[in-house]
Amino acid sequence: MTTISRRDWLLTDRPASRRQARLGQIYRTWLTFRGNWLAMVGLAIVLALIIVALFANVIAPYDPVIGGDLRTARFLPPLTGNHLMGTDDLARDIFSRIVHGSRLTLMVVVLVAVIATPIGLLVGTSAGYFGGWTDTILMRITDIFLAFPRLILALAFVAALGPGIENAIIAIAITSWPPYARLARAETLTIRDSDYINAARLQGASSARILWYHVTPLCLSSVIIRVTLDMAGIILTAAGLGFLGLGAQPPQPEWGAMIASGRRFLIDQWWVATMPGIAIFVVSLGFNLLGDGLRDVLDPKARK
Amino acid sequence: MLHSRRLLAATVAAFTLFTAPAVRAETPADTLIQAWAIDDIISLDPAEIFEFTASEVAGNAYEGLIGYDPMDVTKIFGKVAESWEVAEDGLSISFKIRPGRTFASGNEITAEDVVFSLTRAVKLDKSPAFILTQFGLTPENADQMVVQEGDDTVVFKMDKPYAPTLLLYCLTATVGFVVDKKLVMEHEANGDFGYEWLKTNYAGSGPFTIREWRANEAVVMERNPNYSGDAPAMARVIYRHIPEGATQRLLLEQGDIDIARSLTAEELDAVRANADLKIQEGPKGSIYYLGLNQKNENLAKPEVRQAMKYLVDYAAIADTIMKGKVSVHQAFLPKGFLGALEDTPFALDVAKAKELLAAAGLPDGFSVTMDTRNTPEITGIAQAIQQTMAQAGVKMELIPGDGQQTLTKYRARNHDIYIGRWGPDYQDPHTNADTFARNPDNADDATSKPLAWRNAWDIPEMTARADAAVLEGDAAKRAEMYLALQAEHQQTSPFVVMFQEIEVSAMRANVNGFIVGPSFNDNSFAHVTK
Repeated sequence: MTTISRRDWLLTDRPASRRQARLGQIYRTWLTFRGNWLAMVGLAIVLALIIVALFANVIAPYDPVIGGDLRTARFLPPLTGNHLMGTDDLARDIFSRIVHGSRLTLMVVVLVAVIATPIGLLVGTSAGYFGGWTDTILMRITDIFLAFPRLILALAFVAALGPGIENAIIAIAITSWPPYARLARAETLTIRDSDYINAARLQGASSARILWYHVTPLCLSSVIIRVTLDMAGIILTAAGLGFLGLGAQPPQPEWGAMIASGRRFLIDQWWVATMPGIAIFVVSLGFNLLGDGLRDVLDPKARK
Repeated sequence: MLHSRRLLAATVAAFTLFTAPAVRAETPADTLIQAWAIDDIISLDPAEIFEFTASEVAGNAYEGLIGYDPMDVTKIFGKVAESWEVAEDGLSISFKIRPGRTFASGNEITAEDVVFSLTRAVKLDKSPAFILTQFGLTPENADQMVVQEGDDTVVFKMDKPYAPTLLLYCLTATVGFVVDKKLVMEHEANGDFGYEWLKTNYAGSGPFTIREWRANEAVVMERNPNYSGDAPAMARVIYRHIPEGATQRLLLEQGDIDIARSLTAEELDAVRANADLKIQEGPKGSIYYLGLNQKNENLAKPEVRQAMKYLVDYAAIADTIMKGKVSVHQAFLPKGFLGALEDTPFALDVAKAKELLAAAGLPDGFSVTMDTRNTPEITGIAQAIQQTMAQAGVKMELIPGDGQQTLTKYRARNHDIYIGRWGPDYQDPHTNADTFARNPDNADDATSKPLAWRNAWDIPEMTARADAAVLEGDAAKRAEMYLALQAEHQQTSPFVVMFQEIEVSAMRANVNGFIVGPSFNDNSFAHVTK
């Protein structure tokens, strides 16, 4: 016991406490995850996005909104002077704008996940657990939302709420919860008649308690996988709204809006639209790889 | 049949698109093809036309009583009219109709057609009707105010002795164009003076006839075989609806079109460098300005208004974002107008603006919003202004919207700052004085709502001066009055007048004779050769 390494303590097949067992499980999951190098690339990209967003002020060499001299500093190609990615039509440093734009992207992703996941979980687990009329009504509402293409529905909501990044977030959140509800309901249906649920019910646990402490944790892993996989879609939807002028508003350095304003110069000043495009591509790819990796390790049914 | 022809055309178009780099398409020698955004056309009836594209089409397809030299608008000459005479009391002008001229239909142009056209426009009362009704005409009295005398004379009566040039210039606007009474009345339905028919058809006498208008697709014009002047060299002129500047440029470079009408500053740079292409410029009457709403307590302070005028980098914007498309201009009358003030006293001066803001009790600046139409150019200018304003602590937030949204808000006086573009309706200075320097009633429910009203700028004294200027018959005195009016307006008004537009068209090097005039109905391709 005295010389046991931390690794052995985590990997022991006879855990001495609940905590040790749980930590051991997490460590094993991590080991599997680490073995998937693509997932590690995805994780690295997402971590890089978070770091860049947190330290945008330190990383960005220029102000993202206020440009340089219009006469001399417009449309500088990449790698001129201190401009890693060149400058745009208003002489703003594109690299600084992309760095600050990562905050908007991260904000959209996090807020949508925070808003949409609980709604989806609540609707799905309630529908699955209670069944009957509750199930029918909740699922038909979900069906209505699923009947519309996501971007179109988001467009309609933004048009009704007015353009702006906050409204874009609300619109995307409203349109992205239904798949989570479906998923949570399916999971709930498979476990709601399990012995341990019945046991909890016999002990007098309320429905709310059973839903929250016994059903939700079991649905969580599959929903998290789905949310992570959806994040790329969320980023693309936000960028799409920005591109159409309905998301972030100028002069905010939102990547989609940057592409929209840069496309006018695509023939001669390709970098203005290309750089934010690459940023969107890389970050979407990162979330997809991460989601894939998470599914491999978290979803017991998919494990080979 | 139509379907299969469309399909064929689409296939051919798709084919040419893909093979274009290899096979260089050329437009037919007797056809002029222009690329422009023609989605603003809502009607081809001269009594209703008030849009840029439709004005230009009408300008080449119809004729007015009189015209002016597009290079020097002070040179006025008769077109349908042979001569005119101002009555001694200044309350009427009589026009003698030029004999022996015909419409495209073959009908002779008579005084009856002129009376019909003018009274028709007043009675239909569409958007541009005010250009005629401001002389005291109403749908009820129009038949008494515009009358035929003898065989070949038309008398136009007015309620006040306005400066004669005001009426003459107003009659050069599209609303004053002469339509073929006989042809139009053949298509009358329910007493609409043939309006429903003329919306999509043609009854004029200009060098070209309008053969077809397909909304958001094309306008096709053909040489008028019965034109009374010199026959144009082009047998056909086609406008294609191509809103994207980049697409226009590619088509122009490939030779698929002859003239590209809406290229951005950057695309024009590329055209300048290409030996196969050339550029033609012409100053337009449109001006770009900021309207500062006087209902905003900060903007209502005279020092703040003044400070805002020092916080725009006029020269840099005109040299970069809007290069070649605008020139710096700071008075409400555009260059080329009678009495236009060409002084540009303001330039970016942050220190001076800060002093003025401090004097107004706002040393740290203030926050304000600006309603911005979401076109690339307006947004570009707005963001450049936002940056220079920030240097003096004025935190300006942009509220983008489409043209309809921003304009509705502006017309309801709910904005802080509005960035706008104003095009004069006719070539007389009163057109802009009327809107920038007149506000007869500043109440929320006023009947007349000029730009001064929209910005809640209450100016009884300046309104009286603008009213006096329009009644001055002597042109030199009148010019003096407008110069003085603008000099004061420039300093005190809540309008930051920034630029005058330059219309730039890029064309194939072999296209000659295209005329770019001060207003869109002066743009002429009757003399184009290639």
